Amino acid sequence: MAAIMRAARQVVSALGPHALRDAPAGRSLHTASTGGGKKIVGVFYKGGEYADGNPDFVGCAEHALGIRGWLESQGHQYVVTDDKDGPNCGEHSITNLTFSLYMASATSVTLHYTRVAAELEKHLADAHVLITTPFHPAYVTASRIARARNLELLLTAGIGSDHVDLAAAAAAGLTVAEVTGSNTVSVAEDQLMRVLVLVRNFLPGHRQAVAGEWDVAGVAHRARDLEGKTVATVGAGRIGRLLLRRLKPFGCRLLYHDRLRIQPEMEEELGAEFEADLDAMLPKCDVVVMNMPLTDKTRGMFDKDRIARMKKGVIIVNNARGAIMDTQAVADACATGHIAGYGGDVWHPQPAPKDHPWRYMPNNAMTPHISGTTIDGQGVKDTLERYFKGQDFPAQNYIVKEGKLAGQYQ
Amino acid sequence: MWRAAARHLVDRAISSRAAHTSAGSKKIVGVFYKAGEYADKNPNFVGCVEGALGIRSWLESQGHHYIVTDDKEGPNCELEKHIEDMHVLITTPFHPAYVTAERIKRAKNLELLLTAGIGSDHIDLPAAAAAGLTVAEVTGSNTVSVAEDELLRILILLRNFLPGYQQVVQGEWNVAGIAHRAYDLEGKTVGTVGAGRIGRLLLQRLKPFNCNLLYHDRLQIDPQLEKEIGAKFEEDLDAMLPKCDVIVINTPLTEKTKGMFNKERIAKMKKGVIVVNNARGAIMDTQAVAEACSSGHIAGYGGDVWFPQPAPKDHPWRYMPNHAMTPHISGTTIDAQLRYAEGVKDMLDRYFKGEDFPVQNYIVKEGQLASQYQ
Repeated sequence: MAAIMRAARQVVSALGPHALRDAPAGRSLHTASTGGGKKIVGVFYKGGEYADGNPDFVGCAEHALGIRGWLESQGHQYVVTDDKDGPNCGEHSITNLTFSLYMASATSVTLHYTRVAAELEKHLADAHVLITTPFHPAYVTASRIARARNLELLLTAGIGSDHVDLAAAAAAGLTVAEVTGSNTVSVAEDQLMRVLVLVRNFLPGHRQAVAGEWDVAGVAHRARDLEGKTVATVGAGRIGRLLLRRLKPFGCRLLYHDRLRIQPEMEEELGAEFEADLDAMLPKCDVVVMNMPLTDKTRGMFDKDRIARMKKGVIIVNNARGAIMDTQAVADACATGHIAGYGGDVWHPQPAPKDHPWRYMPNNAMTPHISGTTIDGQGVKDTLERYFKGQDFPAQNYIVKEGKLAGQYQ
Repeated sequence: MWRAAARHLVDRAISSRAAHTSAGSKKIVGVFYKAGEYADKNPNFVGCVEGALGIRSWLESQGHHYIVTDDKEGPNCELEKHIEDMHVLITTPFHPAYVTAERIKRAKNLELLLTAGIGSDHIDLPAAAAAGLTVAEVTGSNTVSVAEDELLRILILLRNFLPGYQQVVQGEWNVAGIAHRAYDLEGKTVGTVGAGRIGRLLLQRLKPFNCNLLYHDRLQIDPQLEKEIGAKFEEDLDAMLPKCDVIVINTPLTEKTKGMFNKERIAKMKKGVIVVNNARGAIMDTQAVAEACSSGHIAGYGGDVWFPQPAPKDHPWRYMPNHAMTPHISGTTIDAQLRYAEGVKDMLDRYFKGEDFPVQNYIVKEGQLASQYQ
């Protein structure tokens, strides 16, 4: 027992002397870096065979946003990986390791520790900047923040920074910013596509075509036009408005719910009606599209009860965040047909495990997280440039600044 | 002598097949797709054999005889049994009864051919015109349906949706496997070949996507509308094609358009073009499309029309890479069925009363073909 405890102390000290201590405050960002390069760490999805011969495909780990040459020529260090989750990574890793030490011999403790660390973990201790993306999210937990001694800036290449413990980042004095680029348009296009895929019952028809079949009735009995339907967006921020604009010529009744009302002129231009009460809006809708960030308020907000308020046969599209929905409640409602179709590219967690119920529920139009993956390499470059020079970012890009969270996350 | 008598009979038959003379009980035959197990799923599912356009009791209460079948192929099919004495034949593009010159010749009582939907190319129109028949369709009944569906297929192909869906249902997760060839519609050049009703509805729906919109047609759109939609007229089709990232076919199938997209014309398109065709399969050269998809010259081909229909099990478009094909469904959504059933009922009512149809519905009238088929 004493030997095990000694081994445990050695392992814990190997993780870093301050591993379990609170992080220091005041990692102020916007002072120009004095001398010496920074260490930039990026976590992106692997391109694999698709990386070759496709130089425009900057968002994959292999092409590293196309900024390696630029960073290294300025004397910065740039480490890029897709390896973000060890088997026991995340905020419980220390706890699990300690537990395992009591149960294991010294030899297996060492092996277990080696297995735990993802590539990302190795670079946390000295990274100044961590670039992450929602499509392959590095979960930046409070404990990881605590261990990232040099960290100053968290950049999300994409939209949505809920994979970062924002409260912990704020408490640690970190800056969190997003580089959305054209992703807002990408996501809005993708939402409209999924609305049409489900309303028009496209997938059973495609399945017939590739299976050598022909049964018009098998598709037509539950295929509708979008025209004339009541379509609502829950959330009318940047993406919600872009969606409403693209929906306008379809001749639907457009509703929206949000904390804030759209300006009257824009409301009229979009042709959308404000619904102050979400639960009063839901039963009116043939189609509901999610367009809110994942926050403590929105997590799990679409549970069994709220889904039951929706019209029988509703179509739901969610390219926002999987955890906004109650996973099992959605699967159950698709199985009964209360939800006639559910589509989206977001899950919890991501990557989605092989047995995630949304893969197998009837009438789904799911994909991996792809709708906004045109990662804006240029935008990241511009943001890093400002960081190196000690300049502010565009105001709307801040998610955490000087200890404060952006409005949508409060 | 026999020949003279026969000719006299034929002349009388032609002149008396004037559709807009009222008469007693008529025999109406309808050919639609069968619903089978899906028949009872939806009371509004009127477009199938079982639903019979929802007009059976209306017809029978007036003393007419209404036969509905899906059996249309071959000399022993159900349709053949009724050719000789039917007055009206209702067909639909989603399960088309091919009304050949030979069938027209044998259909002695036939006066009226109604298409429940749009597109009457499954009928030998010159033969119908020569025989004095009237051909009409429910113009406008599913134009919105088809336009919505075209935009859907453009997005599916450009955004590379289907490989992502395949991954999901197979338990996989590989973002790069989709993202390496996924694009936004914004900023792309989209050309519609044909800017009639459906083409215009498509252009209107494309407008907020901020594309570069081009159109080719025999006729230029009214300048006011052209400006409102934001589309540029391209007089020369072959000059337009190489400019386009996306091409949508929106022409009827006529003698002029049959096979117009052959190997040579496809080669004029940009490498990596997306093609959507909800118009008619026979506008394309079947094999040329399949080969261009295999080579990647066409990065994605989607549509709900084939030649012939139903498409045989071995039709190459089922198996070519990067397709977004379905059976012929875009114009037979429940909403469209209700509209074209209503339109057929209206025209039957006018026919019984000897009244004209809405002028835009005529495809063949008094020996003349509608302009798009000339």
